Amino acid sequence: MKLRSLLRKIAAQHRLYVMMLPMLAAVTIFSYIPLSGWVMAFTDYRIGGSLFGGEFIGLRQFKFFFTQANDAFYVLRNTLVINLCSLAINLTSACAFAILLNEVRTNWLRRIVQSVSFFPFFVSWVITYTIFNTFLSMQTGVLNVVLKDLGLLETGINFLGDPKYSWPVIIFVGFWKSIGYNSVIFLAAISGIEQEQYEAASIDGATHMQKIRYITIPALAPTLSVLLIMNSGWVFNSNFEEFNLFSNSVNWQKMEVLDVYVYRYGLKMLDYSYATAVGIIKTVASLIMFFTVNVIAKRVNGRSLV
Amino acid sequence: MAQSGKNAKPGKAGKILHRKYYHDRSSCLSDYLLKLVVGIVMLFVSVITLYPFLYILFYSLSTSGRVGAGLLLHPRGFTLESYRILFTNTTNISHAMLISIARSSLGPLVSLTVNSMGAFALSRKRLIGRKIFMIYVLMTMYFSSGIIPHYILMQRLHLAGTFWVYIFPAMFSTFNMILIKTYMEGIPEELEESALMDGANDYIIFFRILLPLCMPVLAAVMLFDCVHQWNAYSDTMIYNSMRTNLHTLQYVLMTFIDTTTQSLQEAESKGEAQALFNPVTARMALTVIVTVPILCVYPALQKYFASGILIGSIKG
Repeated sequence: MKLRSLLRKIAAQHRLYVMMLPMLAAVTIFSYIPLSGWVMAFTDYRIGGSLFGGEFIGLRQFKFFFTQANDAFYVLRNTLVINLCSLAINLTSACAFAILLNEVRTNWLRRIVQSVSFFPFFVSWVITYTIFNTFLSMQTGVLNVVLKDLGLLETGINFLGDPKYSWPVIIFVGFWKSIGYNSVIFLAAISGIEQEQYEAASIDGATHMQKIRYITIPALAPTLSVLLIMNSGWVFNSNFEEFNLFSNSVNWQKMEVLDVYVYRYGLKMLDYSYATAVGIIKTVASLIMFFTVNVIAKRVNGRSLV
Repeated sequence: MAQSGKNAKPGKAGKILHRKYYHDRSSCLSDYLLKLVVGIVMLFVSVITLYPFLYILFYSLSTSGRVGAGLLLHPRGFTLESYRILFTNTTNISHAMLISIARSSLGPLVSLTVNSMGAFALSRKRLIGRKIFMIYVLMTMYFSSGIIPHYILMQRLHLAGTFWVYIFPAMFSTFNMILIKTYMEGIPEELEESALMDGANDYIIFFRILLPLCMPVLAAVMLFDCVHQWNAYSDTMIYNSMRTNLHTLQYVLMTFIDTTTQSLQEAESKGEAQALFNPVTARMALTVIVTVPILCVYPALQKYFASGILIGSIKG
């Protein structure tokens, strides 16, 4: 009887299920079904053959990643160094930028600076690359030409090729693209601070510096730490479109990250089995990170993020 | 006087007093320093985020022979020649533009339909099995099958090499669905209850009641999707690089970077830097063309961010 009433209830809301259908189909087809491709990592899959037809080879491909030259070392190092540095630098600089922007008392000026700094967030990576290529390339890059004209340089610096400059350049690219976007979050947090605190401080004779030091910064600290913790779950993930453009045959030792490595081995060198194995390593490492981050966030924040 | 200020409730008197103190105190040294730092930082950030775009615009409007490297503060020898050449000489700019426009209008329409219907169902508390469906959908945020299994799937579904590879894989986004769902949950349930009482079914509730009320979030999501579709290039690179008739503007621009750097190096090595057709000005013109649509919708994008519709979901 109970089952029957349940079925009747379900039938009564069948329209909701119909509306959910496209979403469930999309999730199943594009997220769950490709997981079956993971068997490729454990078999010697041949391109064009059946997914389950290859011979079982166990964990050989996984071992390859860690033993083959020092691939695992440099790829993981690049991924983690670039992502962690970017995370720390982007968020703290956006926080500082928001605080300073809030000190601009002329409304129109503040709005202009905000609009201008937010714009790079919306342009594509191809355009971003075009811009950096225009300004940083060795012979014709604007920055190099200006430095040479000023007599500060003999020959142009190969910013986009020389591995020495890879990390600073890519971290700056991330900063350039996200400063406006990240500062919006902090500006929202600043506008949430009670105005009475500032008024009371003024009456007590606080200078602007003191107000920032003792009111604004302490009020923003929780936002900053939550964002830092939350985003550190993503340290194994890089933006493929970004790194695919900025990696080249000269700087790969310092620039190549996991996502580009998987792409290069899989779709350029056509080693599907190996690329899938490295992809699995990435996903598993990410899952562990998310789990850890969630535990930490619960401790710090008293609430779960997932 | 300070005493009276402290007691004053937030009103006119308090504000005037606040402003007076504000002026008095800003005269101390540390505040001058602060003003200086603020000025420098604002100038620096504005210049590095604005000047590159201006430079590219000026470059594209310059006569190719007269513009060398170095700073540009205005076009040298104003001309629209680069744009003319781009549309007449080079092979497929107009067609690529059509493809770009097609994917950034059709894509958001499809994904908006899928996402909003899903969000509606999942935001109804009476839905049986709601929690299971939520977990099933949200789980996908935390894992990805990786690029190779996805590539093989696209091959098997015969989406690779067609226009639809731009549309179908992007038809659902967990992020956008949650955005719409959160918004729908903020709409009072009484509206729905009274409609149910009047005998309306779920389709009617969705189309006639919820959708009109969700216009702000739908517009925001739609716009965001448009920008995403317009900006993407990696799907073209991976699935459609052999199909020139499916190339998008972004992809054409990307291939332009490669070829112009090559031809520039060749020209330099042959000592023919002053070639008749300067590929760099053409590249700059194309960059401007690809950027302009984003610039057009930019005020709206900024408005949605400022109103917190898109930020809210990031915070929680």
